[in-house]
Amino acid sequence: MSYAEAVADGIWAANAVRVGYIPSVTVAPVINSLVATDGGADGVSPRVTPLSREEEAIGVMGAVAFTGRLGAVVMQDNGFGNALTALTTFALSYHLPLLIFANTRGSLGEYNSMIHSISGPMPGVLRAFGLPVIELDRRSSAADWHEAVRESGVHAVMTYRPVVVLGSFWNTDGKVA
Amino acid sequence: MKRLEALRVLADLTSGHPVVVTCAATSRELAAVKDSDNHLYLLDAMGLAGSVATGLALSVPPNAPKVVCIEGDGSLLMNPNVLPTGGYLAPPNLLLVLLDNGVYGSTGALPTYSARVNLARLAEAAAWITRSTDSVEGLRAAFEELCGIDGPAFLYARIEEGNAHDVAKLLIDPVTITTRFSRWLRQEHASEVGA
Ligand SMILES: [Mg+2]
Repeated sequence: MSYAEAVADGIWAANAVRVGYIPSVTVAPVINSLVATDGGADGVSPRVTPLSREEEAIGVMGAVAFTGRLGAVVMQDNGFGNALTALTTFALSYHLPLLIFANTRGSLGEYNSMIHSISGPMPGVLRAFGLPVIELDRRSSAADWHEAVRESGVHAVMTYRPVVVLGSFWNTDGKVA
Repeated sequence: MKRLEALRVLADLTSGHPVVVTCAATSRELAAVKDSDNHLYLLDAMGLAGSVATGLALSVPPNAPKVVCIEGDGSLLMNPNVLPTGGYLAPPNLLLVLLDNGVYGSTGALPTYSARVNLARLAEAAAWITRSTDSVEGLRAAFEELCGIDGPAFLYARIEEGNAHDVAKLLIDPVTITTRFSRWLRQEHASEVGA
């Protein structure tokens, strides 16, 4: 099981009923795995949906919670800047469980100089807003990533709040950028 | 047609529909006309109503009454992604009612783009089925027609500028909205399954 497959399987194992994604080269293998395991192709399957921006992803996937089920978002961490108002005034304030997996940029393995500026501080930014952040990197196995993603979805449901999992693919079998 | 007049018609027509309402004056006036468990008021997150309605439409039984979004021109222009995303995902049970008064009605009545940009045509270009009206009778007729058509559907309603007077602010904890709206959805869909 690759790290990307571990994330995808972890999202399904958390009982997410629908996943929205905003593309990134790093999470593309996660999205491909989600789509393949859901019987789709070319980035689309019955339960996996492309979305145009992180803000709307919080709205579309957060709304799943009103039906008593869990939605998930797969994205890249620099997109949280687009999503903070929706995350706080909608998902957090309305007590909506939501599982968010984002790959990290801007640290080890990064080639882009500008992306450090938003990705570096992002775990602290999210925590300052009261969002639980689970950080994963090369130091744990793909099996651990699977369990951490699955349990984060459970935690979101238990706490009636969004939970963010940040995954650094550097020095795993994945691709950073 | 004033916003309050449009909302009176919509409150009456949507009693069996999940309704997602944009923030500020529109939510406040709808609650003043009729406060109901099927109303999901978005108290902030301007622009998100269409996205939330899209997510709901994808998540409720497809044959249940359509998910209705009541949106404003300024709010739609803050998140116009609602149009291409809705057109692409194409939930058949989504009906967005746009109340266009040409201004940001809750923030000093400064003008939006809608005097120069045709929002109904924008929706049409994004693959929504559209109808337009500027009257109470037209609103009722177009709503009923669009409820019978597989969407996504976009009902453009031109309304007058100005907010209703003496309408109380909505000072409720959003989690209470979640609780009552979710309960209403559960009961509604349980009865459909049982029917
Ligand atoms: Mg307006």
